[in-house]
Amino acid sequence: MIRAGWRLQRTETLVTAGMLAALALLLIPTGLQMSSAYHHDGLSACLSPNASFGCGRAVESFMSRFSGIYSLAGWFNFVPALAGVLLAAPFLLELEQGTFRLAWTQSITRGRWIAGKLGLAIGVALSAALILTLLITWWRTPFVHLQGRMGANVYDFEGTVVFGYALFPLGLAAALGAVWRRAVPALIVSFGVYVGVRVFFDSWVRQRLVAPLTATWKAKTSGPDLSHAWVLAEGPSGPSGHIIPFHIGPCFPGRPRCTLNPPGHYMHAVYHPASHFWPLQGIETAIFAGVALVLLAFAAWWTHERVA
Amino acid sequence: MSTGLALVADGLGKRYGSKWALRDCTLEIPTGSVTALVGPNGAGKTTLLQLAVGLAEPTTGSVRVLDCSPRADAQAMLPRIGFVAQEHPLYRGLTVRETLDLGRQLNPGWDEALASERIERVGLAARQKVGKLSGGQQAQVALTLALAKRPELLLLDEPVASLDPLARREFLTSVMEVVAERGITVVLSSHIVADLERVCDHLIILSHARTQLAGPIEEIVSSHRLLTGPRSDPAAVARVHNVVRASHTERQTTLLVQANGHVYDSSWELHDVDLEEIVLAYMGQREEVAA
Amino acid sequence: MIEFHLDARSGVPTYLQLVNQVRQAVRLGILRPGDQLPTVKEVVGALTINPNTVLKAYRELDHEGIVEGRRGVGTFVSAQSPSPPPDGMKDLRAALEKWVARARSAGVDDEAMAAMLADATHHPRASRVA
Repeated sequence: MIRAGWRLQRTETLVTAGMLAALALLLIPTGLQMSSAYHHDGLSACLSPNASFGCGRAVESFMSRFSGIYSLAGWFNFVPALAGVLLAAPFLLELEQGTFRLAWTQSITRGRWIAGKLGLAIGVALSAALILTLLITWWRTPFVHLQGRMGANVYDFEGTVVFGYALFPLGLAAALGAVWRRAVPALIVSFGVYVGVRVFFDSWVRQRLVAPLTATWKAKTSGPDLSHAWVLAEGPSGPSGHIIPFHIGPCFPGRPRCTLNPPGHYMHAVYHPASHFWPLQGIETAIFAGVALVLLAFAAWWTHERVA
Repeated sequence: MSTGLALVADGLGKRYGSKWALRDCTLEIPTGSVTALVGPNGAGKTTLLQLAVGLAEPTTGSVRVLDCSPRADAQAMLPRIGFVAQEHPLYRGLTVRETLDLGRQLNPGWDEALASERIERVGLAARQKVGKLSGGQQAQVALTLALAKRPELLLLDEPVASLDPLARREFLTSVMEVVAERGITVVLSSHIVADLERVCDHLIILSHARTQLAGPIEEIVSSHRLLTGPRSDPAAVARVHNVVRASHTERQTTLLVQANGHVYDSSWELHDVDLEEIVLAYMGQREEVAA
Repeated sequence: MIEFHLDARSGVPTYLQLVNQVRQAVRLGILRPGDQLPTVKEVVGALTINPNTVLKAYRELDHEGIVEGRRGVGTFVSAQSPSPPPDGMKDLRAALEKWVARARSAGVDDEAMAAMLADATHHPRASRVA
């Protein structure tokens, strides 16, 4: 079963591997450049705790040199989704083209066939997620030193969430395709739903998974270190911590709440510190992977019981 | 262990939504027979075969295949049957060789010698992509896959419907040669009656989701008679014989009957009927009753 | 070796067509004692018919004593099969040709001749022992 299933999933596995290879081809040379720039331009030295000089200029030049390539990172979000959706294709094509009638009347039961088929897809999806995580984690190392891991472009590729991001579209496509029995539309819709869910999750759900910290401090004193944190809100406030909306721009009489004269001289911030990285990752991974497993179980059950 | 019956259906029924695809199907298929499952499209032939191979589960009644319950004893039954589904589905992206490899990986009883010999005999190259083959060649690949399992029972769903006459003849010849060599039981469905009389020895007529007639072809042909006579009410005949179809012109009445013994009434002229006519009469029967 | 053919429209059961063709071939001397009949698989392959039909025909011929099956070897025309002496056949054929010529000159067409022959073989007026 494993060998047969492997052959039937070969194209999709190769395309996934090809995507990762193309990504590696892009990331490895730039990663090496960044790494060497980071070490030779004195960044690593000035960022160490006992550095005697500031990093301002070195960071600025590093960022201006690599921010172009770095901004590409957002697009890498499509990679686990494409891999997940793609790896559902052999299962869906089997149902759409009726070859399951061939497979299920060989000498193995349909239960084993479904388990083997989905198991292989899950295995390859997880492997692809692992490779993607390792690759981007390595590539991003200098930026992590500079900015931490809480920014969306980093958080989405480090830790464990990528496993969830790869499994979720796979499960979605499998469940949708099992019921719908049309492969290509099911794959496209799954991909679209995945993108929608991710946008909603990144912009609204994620920050609420763990209660963020709040801090209020007197302006012009040093507040909490927010350089590696995910800052949800920050601004001048009253002593009680109410952020006061203010206008950016010239101040003139009649325009209230102008920054030139912040009342109370307090600052307030709502943020997830770097220490929230793993709790957030854990919860988010559990949600995506959990939903994916439920969807996969549903696809398997439906196919086992309802397809003839 | 063997009951002499390869397939037994008892009150078998299958409903999809509110529509019955097969109803009250009770029949027996003897071991070693070549049985034709005949009926118009949508009569329930595919459903019956899918129930037999465990692809579908009965709504009512039961079916036993080689003394196994197709779903509950799937592990025991599957290696003993060969099935070619309608349109002979195959993995189009695989080559002929890869398709056979798949068969070997999925069937512990795989007969590689038989498979490669058959592929060579029907003139297929191992490296050809299955999706690029003609319909007849694909049917032969599907048949090879089913036969190399060395099944005791071969079930074929509309195996020749999509084939041209030459490919159809070649396919049926292949099946008959296997029957001659190994004495396996064959059930094949078809909505084309031609060819079946030569190839099959048993017949099951399905129509409107029900079994209309089942039995050895010879008995079926010898028990049916066409009666022609002056226009009259067929009620008298119907008391003794089973009137399958009655048609009238102004002066004449023609009856197709399943004779219950001899027809003695001298007012009727007796004719033999061939299988095709019998099948068509049974297929049309219910519609006439309904209309 | 005999090559079978089938006439689908004759209405004669397939197995009987095979039996008749072997009988005919033996009578005409196409098949001689000791000759082997095609195997079941060969017949099946050539005619696309159910093997049971061939088996039935061969059983029937065996029963009539025209052929005998040798287990694992094949089916052979038996030694005591009714094979008319070739000389007698020749004489009869010559006589028949003469009769045909006479009938033609009397204005009887071929169809009528065939009908007369069929009638004579099925309903002989005088009982003659062959």
